[in-house]
Amino acid sequence: MSEDKIVVNIDIDLEDLIPGFMENRQTDLQKLEQALEDQDYETLRSIGHNLKGVGGGYGFHDMTAMGTAIEEGARENKLEIVKENVTKLSHYLSNVEIVYQEE
Amino acid sequence: MDKEYRLLVVDDEQDMLVLLESMLKNGGFDVKTVTSGEDALIEMQENKPDLVITDLFMGERMNGMQLMENIHKNAPLLPVIILSGQAQIRDAVKATHMGSAAFLTKPIEKEKLLEQVGQVLNITASGRENKEFSESIIYKSNVMEELVDLSVAVAATSVTVFIMGETGTGKEILAKAIHESSERRNKPFIGINCGAIPEQLLESELFGHEKGAFTGAASRHDGLFQAASGGTIFLDEIGDMPLSLQVKLLRVLQDMEVRPVGSTKNIPIDVRIISATHRDLEEMVDAGEFRSDLYYRLKVVPLVIPKLSDRCEDIPLLADHFLEQHAQANNKKKKHLSPESLNYLMAAEWPGNIRQLNNVIELCATLSKTKNISLSLVKSGLQDRNTQMKTLKEAKSEFEKNYLIGVLKMSAGHVANAAKIAGRNRTEFYKLLGTHNIEPGKFRSKNKA
Repeated sequence: MSEDKIVVNIDIDLEDLIPGFMENRQTDLQKLEQALEDQDYETLRSIGHNLKGVGGGYGFHDMTAMGTAIEEGARENKLEIVKENVTKLSHYLSNVEIVYQEE
Repeated sequence: MDKEYRLLVVDDEQDMLVLLESMLKNGGFDVKTVTSGEDALIEMQENKPDLVITDLFMGERMNGMQLMENIHKNAPLLPVIILSGQAQIRDAVKATHMGSAAFLTKPIEKEKLLEQVGQVLNITASGRENKEFSESIIYKSNVMEELVDLSVAVAATSVTVFIMGETGTGKEILAKAIHESSERRNKPFIGINCGAIPEQLLESELFGHEKGAFTGAASRHDGLFQAASGGTIFLDEIGDMPLSLQVKLLRVLQDMEVRPVGSTKNIPIDVRIISATHRDLEEMVDAGEFRSDLYYRLKVVPLVIPKLSDRCEDIPLLADHFLEQHAQANNKKKKHLSPESLNYLMAAEWPGNIRQLNNVIELCATLSKTKNISLSLVKSGLQDRNTQMKTLKEAKSEFEKNYLIGVLKMSAGHVANAAKIAGRNRTEFYKLLGTHNIEPGKFRSKNKA
């Protein structure tokens, strides 16, 4: 399974914030999965938008890309794209390995 | 950093808030965070920050732009940086015009954020010295020094400016000085007197028109907003703008887009807007003659030019400047004012302000046969009614008001009869009375007494 690991370098100054941040993303994932089931496009768009804004700021640039795709997919009612990216996010959150670095 | 700058950060997204807090604290700043614009305004009453950083969209609550408007009502020069998850150029341009010091898009990079914050704080700390600006405005009075300081700080931004001042105080000169001191100086400065152009023409002048949009529109024409692209547009006598056009101008300010007459397409614009009036717009808003929403959009940073009589210590400098100008323009030796003449000028009322002073000096310099301008010549120059002429609009309005009072007196306050005399229907007549704040009841009671 180690080849599935996604290594992300994060600024050491943010070390204390990361556990809380990752916990919130797990909550986002649950909400996204529920919204997918309900076809609740507004919730999908809103969480996608937040992910886009917050992910890259912490150093998780892939998360920003997924958030962008979820937001745009939801805005255009393209459920398949949203679904694909929620799955990607789920895989990402399960496999991300954080390496703290001095900036 | 010698001083620890206090920053207030506003974002409804908790993860973003703690991230910004961490980045800024690591950058050496004292940071306070809140999750809404409403809380930010409360926090600011207790601790005034040096800079506010706010998210643009915060759910259903007050957005970043509204927060900035509220902040600038009490602290027009407090820098505000706006963050947005949407990289919309239109939002960025609009934010700049509303007075934001910078516009950053998410995801936020620490280096970029700290660089931007540093730049913004430097602007506010150092923007006070500008010799060029001071040279174009002649003054030594404290009241003008304060105005110039404020204007120089404003010039460093693209914020919308509103200049208030009596007729002849130099509103256009100040607007030009702000443009010349800004980064827009190499782009056009375009001024237009909103009261001098008929309503139908004004719309097409400002926003342009398409070919065939109206009779006589033989070709397409770019409006002044487009012509001033990248520069500054100066809307003089904004108080004279008709209500129908006020709505259209409001839309331009909200969206930073213009729609030419006869076109279905909006064209984005990048123009700094400076407006001015000698009228009391607040009074006009109360009377329903000026839209309050437009008033607050225009009045992001209000600048008040004092009357000449409130800065009489500047009169010798100004008079000397006009004498110099007159000598150069006519290729003659410069004339001088005797000390008594100067004292007389300094004690005068000057209802026409600097324009009137210029006219009087010009007249005296032309008529004086000696090198020194005598007191008697100055006195007669000041009595010249021509220097105090009203504008046609002011004269018409005054005539209309006196006429309405006359017919009301004649009809003992009976509106239907007064309207008949005036050849208007009652509704129209009431509207006219409203425009001039005339209360017909007063004429009734007076006549009965």
